[in-house]
Amino acid sequence: MKKTLKTLALTMTALSLLTGCSAPTAETQSGSAESSSASIQTAEGDTSYIIGIGQYAEHGSLDNCREGFLQGLAEAGIVEGENLTVIYENSQADNSTANQIIDNFISQDADLICAIATPMAQAAYSGARKENIPVIYTAVTDPVAAALADESGAPVGEITGTSDKLPVREQLEMIRALLPDAKSIGILYSTGEVNSESTLAEYKELAPEYGFEIVEGPVTSTADIPLAADNILEKADCLSNLTDNTVVNSLPVILDKAAKKNIPVFGSEIEQVKIGCLASMGLDYIKLGQQTGQMAAKILKGEAKASEMNYEIIEEASFYANAAVADTLGITIPEDMTASAAEIFTEITQ
Amino acid sequence: MSIILGFLEEGLVYAIMALGVYITYKILDFPDLSVDGTFPLGGAVGVTLILAGVNPVLTLFAAFLAGAAAGCATGFIHVKLKVRDLLSGIIVMTALYSVNLRITGKSNVPIFNCQTIFENDFLASLIPESVSSFTVLIILVIIVAIVKILLDLYLKTRSGYLLQAVGDNESLVTALAKDKGLVKIIGLALANGLAALAGAVYCQKNGNFAIEMGTGTMVIGLANVIIGTKLFQKVGILKSTTAVIIGSIIYRGCVSLAISLGMKASDLKLITAALLLVILVISNGKEKKVKVHA
Repeated sequence: MKKTLKTLALTMTALSLLTGCSAPTAETQSGSAESSSASIQTAEGDTSYIIGIGQYAEHGSLDNCREGFLQGLAEAGIVEGENLTVIYENSQADNSTANQIIDNFISQDADLICAIATPMAQAAYSGARKENIPVIYTAVTDPVAAALADESGAPVGEITGTSDKLPVREQLEMIRALLPDAKSIGILYSTGEVNSESTLAEYKELAPEYGFEIVEGPVTSTADIPLAADNILEKADCLSNLTDNTVVNSLPVILDKAAKKNIPVFGSEIEQVKIGCLASMGLDYIKLGQQTGQMAAKILKGEAKASEMNYEIIEEASFYANAAVADTLGITIPEDMTASAAEIFTEITQ
Repeated sequence: MSIILGFLEEGLVYAIMALGVYITYKILDFPDLSVDGTFPLGGAVGVTLILAGVNPVLTLFAAFLAGAAAGCATGFIHVKLKVRDLLSGIIVMTALYSVNLRITGKSNVPIFNCQTIFENDFLASLIPESVSSFTVLIILVIIVAIVKILLDLYLKTRSGYLLQAVGDNESLVTALAKDKGLVKIIGLALANGLAALAGAVYCQKNGNFAIEMGTGTMVIGLANVIIGTKLFQKVGILKSTTAVIIGSIIYRGCVSLAISLGMKASDLKLITAALLLVILVISNGKEKKVKVHA
């Protein structure tokens, strides 16, 4: 018994040593918490808020969502470091960590939880509904399929947010305008992502209207991508991306293979066009985040309840293109499109 | 408070799976990777049946049976087809990814609005508002207790003793004129049944199924078993099965502690590895001392 106690004590010491290693992060976080609790005292009468931001994975678009979210809050007068404490956690695409992150937010008495991407939103709803903490999500492609909203778009509980549903029709229109002779579009997607499945279904439904045939390239993991890309590039006249995390993470590999065969790849958002996709009718995730931040501000200020607000989508898609890619492929972007473009990149950033 | 409830709940769910890993890793000495596939398999079977309107308690039995069948497959591949233990597990785990997707039809299935073992009309009428936040915990304690008692009872039966004998001394079993292959298959079936049961409970607790929920199950199970058995190996009154359950809760507690101390999720795996190493090294040192005394 004595020995067991000793082992326990040793383990605890070892643990505290381990946690000691991370002291810098812990300090910076509690540091910001302290400064804001100080501001509660100075700005008497003003309310101060705590928001837990849980992000599912590390990913350009999701990072932009978070940035936009804080901007949106700031526009409504809720500024980080002044009257807002932000606890930010990233689950690195691990579901069980996502659940614990939410538990942590709840125990820290967060006034609101912001969940970025579908799995985090589901974890947040599952954890926070018992405590009645409102949840606001963003970058959830299909809130209805994720059971966060009913068919009419009304929330299922104290949860609402914004959807990053892709403008598929606009994307198809754009591809037709740029490639008048193309017959088929190849789409790589991972079988493990529910968002990709619903977007793919929409592509398949709308493609015939624009005279396209969809070639599917399912993958189960990053390791499948090189082979799947080789295979789909044999069959399709061009590729179009979804917001599939697995595929987007391996985009450089796909772009490299496509460039060798002189096949254009269309992106689903701005970051992809920067690194070498020909063009995209995409969303601006910063804007999406801002819209989400404004919704969150309404909830925090008590102007509206999450359960009373339907989820929102960004109506207009913007055209992004990469002129350097167009040059190498020998494609000319029609002038009316260049004129209406949100941004034309002139080089490929690696 | 909710963070303590959170890790107790998660720890108990994973304890069911860890009891399975205890059978394969500790008793049979079989590194079984198929749990990475059977954990989500249980979830897939569970949510599909719940959506079909089946009683949530019955879905747990169905999940157990599905997991046991997958465990039999691993055992069959290893024993009858003579494939190495680690590889048999990997083969079944890989195959189950597709099977799980076939069962659910999609990679993420929410069941927020369905009746589950944790949330149903019967419970709502039974449990007063004041203790409702402990409902999940109470139900989990009951499930884990039932599983533990049944497993303890099983290990005392004839078949249970043979199972323990195969891990310790295979030739003894052969000398008793028993088929050691069959015993291994039974052990694997039991272990994977428990993993699948844990998966089904996990999905009902969290309100959704996700195809990637199985990744790393084996490592979590191993960590739970090692923490439990190594920390409590000298406490005679504590059964190994109890030690595994406590180990599972300690492990989740450590992860929870790490997160609330502001550690990055990306560092968690490193912490798990370090924690395991520390416990293994400490307990090794102890064993040596015992030998010196002897």
